[in-house]
Amino acid sequence: MRWFITIRYLLSHKRQSLVCIAGVTISVTMFIAMSAMMAGFTDKFIIETVESSGHITIKDEPRETRTPILERAYPNPNAMLALANVKPRDTIRKIDNPTGLVHALETMPGIVAAAPEVFGDVIATFGTKTLNLNIYGVEPEKQISVTTIADDLLEGDFQRLRTTADGVIIGKGVADVLGARMDDSITLASATGGKTSARVVGIFRTGVTPVDYSRGYMLLSSAQTLLDKKNIINQIVLRTRDYTQAREYAAQIEGVCGYRTESWQESNANFLKIFSIQQVITYIITGALLVVAAFGVLNILIMAVLERVNDIAILRSFGLSRLDIGVIYTLQGLLIGIVGAALGLGFGKLAVEGLRRIPITLEGLIRSEGLLMSEHASQYYLSFFAAIIVVLIASAYPAWRAAKYDPVEVIRGAH
Amino acid sequence: MAPTEFPLEQRKIPLLAAQNVHRILGSGESANPVLRGVSVQIARHEYVSIVGASGSGKSTLLYLLGGLDRPSQVDAERKAFDPPSRVFINGQDTQSLDDTALASVRNEQIGFVFQFHYLLKEFSAQENVCLPMLKLGKLSRSAAMERSAELLKQLGLGDKIRRPANRLSGGEQQRVALARALANEPAVLLADEPTGNLDRKNTELVAQIFVDLASKGQSIVMVTHDGALARRARRMVTMEDGLIVSDQTPS
Repeated sequence: MRWFITIRYLLSHKRQSLVCIAGVTISVTMFIAMSAMMAGFTDKFIIETVESSGHITIKDEPRETRTPILERAYPNPNAMLALANVKPRDTIRKIDNPTGLVHALETMPGIVAAAPEVFGDVIATFGTKTLNLNIYGVEPEKQISVTTIADDLLEGDFQRLRTTADGVIIGKGVADVLGARMDDSITLASATGGKTSARVVGIFRTGVTPVDYSRGYMLLSSAQTLLDKKNIINQIVLRTRDYTQAREYAAQIEGVCGYRTESWQESNANFLKIFSIQQVITYIITGALLVVAAFGVLNILIMAVLERVNDIAILRSFGLSRLDIGVIYTLQGLLIGIVGAALGLGFGKLAVEGLRRIPITLEGLIRSEGLLMSEHASQYYLSFFAAIIVVLIASAYPAWRAAKYDPVEVIRGAH
Repeated sequence: MAPTEFPLEQRKIPLLAAQNVHRILGSGESANPVLRGVSVQIARHEYVSIVGASGSGKSTLLYLLGGLDRPSQVDAERKAFDPPSRVFINGQDTQSLDDTALASVRNEQIGFVFQFHYLLKEFSAQENVCLPMLKLGKLSRSAAMERSAELLKQLGLGDKIRRPANRLSGGEQQRVALARALANEPAVLLADEPTGNLDRKNTELVAQIFVDLASKGQSIVMVTHDGALARRARRMVTMEDGLIVSDQTPS
């Protein structure tokens, strides 16, 4: 009987009901489209970063800076200590016994592959153009087992690093800035005085702009010579079975080997933080839309209650309780919420598919052809249930107000 | 229907009983005592009219007897009435029932008819009559609709059962309201000025329906200003200033 009355009330004021439903539908549609877009960019960034740079990187440094020797000798925090003319010992930073460590890591559960690298900064010059370049000295066979950089090549072949003396593979952004093309020779100069003329044997595009504009790969031995780091390995890159577990693996490895071990999440913490903030902003904007829709429902239901005061009196007279009356108005809110949210899911899906097909090239933090849309079931669940709950909350006041009416006062004409 | 059909113990309990009923509207200095200690009993199969001037408290008494309102329990000085101000429906103290239980009593045992018809305008005549039955839940929806149509037919509205309530004339609307009040075969029909808003022809029609119902054993309590209508009842209670001043059963 409650449903019978509820549905009839909603159908008898079709226009108002449709306005309420439309408000909910629009807010759910907007939520799905915006969150899919945000997730699209975030997912693309994560995937490209993870795939092109590895899941975990072991660096040639301890996580904690060493306690100064004087403070080790005098641990009392109140002691006044002073040292003058300190000259730190000039130590060569490197990972000790990298081959043994790589072998040990490769046998660890959850680790798929490990690749040693030497990393350093050089200045690349081609004609009149110069650019700072992060050079990664790699063993091509191992590198392609920890990253997908070989798949990102637009031109050339990763194995040519092996066959070409002083070959270099550079990012598309680097190539564009320098104006270099395949088989051009670019000059690479390191801070320690090393200099070489390297031949471009490949150009890659990961889609992550900072990587494409700053990275170059050389053969490990060539890079070691260029960077004056003979036989030195200063980082090891790992690929895990499940990149979402990288943080846990990294902590485990760091505990064993003692070197600072960064998961991709830690390496990109700043970007991930920005994405989190963007996600919060998306939720606030779409949440505000939902609140506006909820106020629409509140307003229309209050009007409906005021219009039907006589109905409430007569329903009470033939046996409906205050609870029944409250439930009838709550059900109206619930139905508006369910129908509006369900339509919102459909329109949201259409919006996602429509936006995905817009032919547009974006180049910012990441580069993409078309808008990146990433759908997660959670977006749909969240928007559906959030819409229903917010609308239910909005209908609580009209329902309470309807239930509160004293039928005798209404019949006496007090209302 | 003869009284002997009821079990003996049930016959002893009055259908409706008011015991020292007070009703004070408002509070403090603006307190308005509408009923000032009314005691009355209505037996089964009685046809009672309540008459009195405007403001004498007759409608208030009717709403209290039907469990639509509750009697005041204390006077303006917060002192409890002695004996307690109580209304009993079929022996059940309405004061002991919560809102939901009292609503169930109204649904099962009381049929209300008001001066201003109070139909749900978004529902057809048949649906209006059907609603109390759906609330009671003893009949399926189709059976309830069937019974609604039958009741409307009995009251001369067989050709208008599907018409929206707001497209019926005043007299027709009042007959629909009457059919709705009878839908759950209530123990008593409580009518508040049922002809107060009708023309002479419809007044006569509705009055005759009440007489017919009473002759079939339906208990009826009717508040009216219409002396002629009141005299058709078998018992006439007169109220004045919140008190019963006469309670006559014409020979």
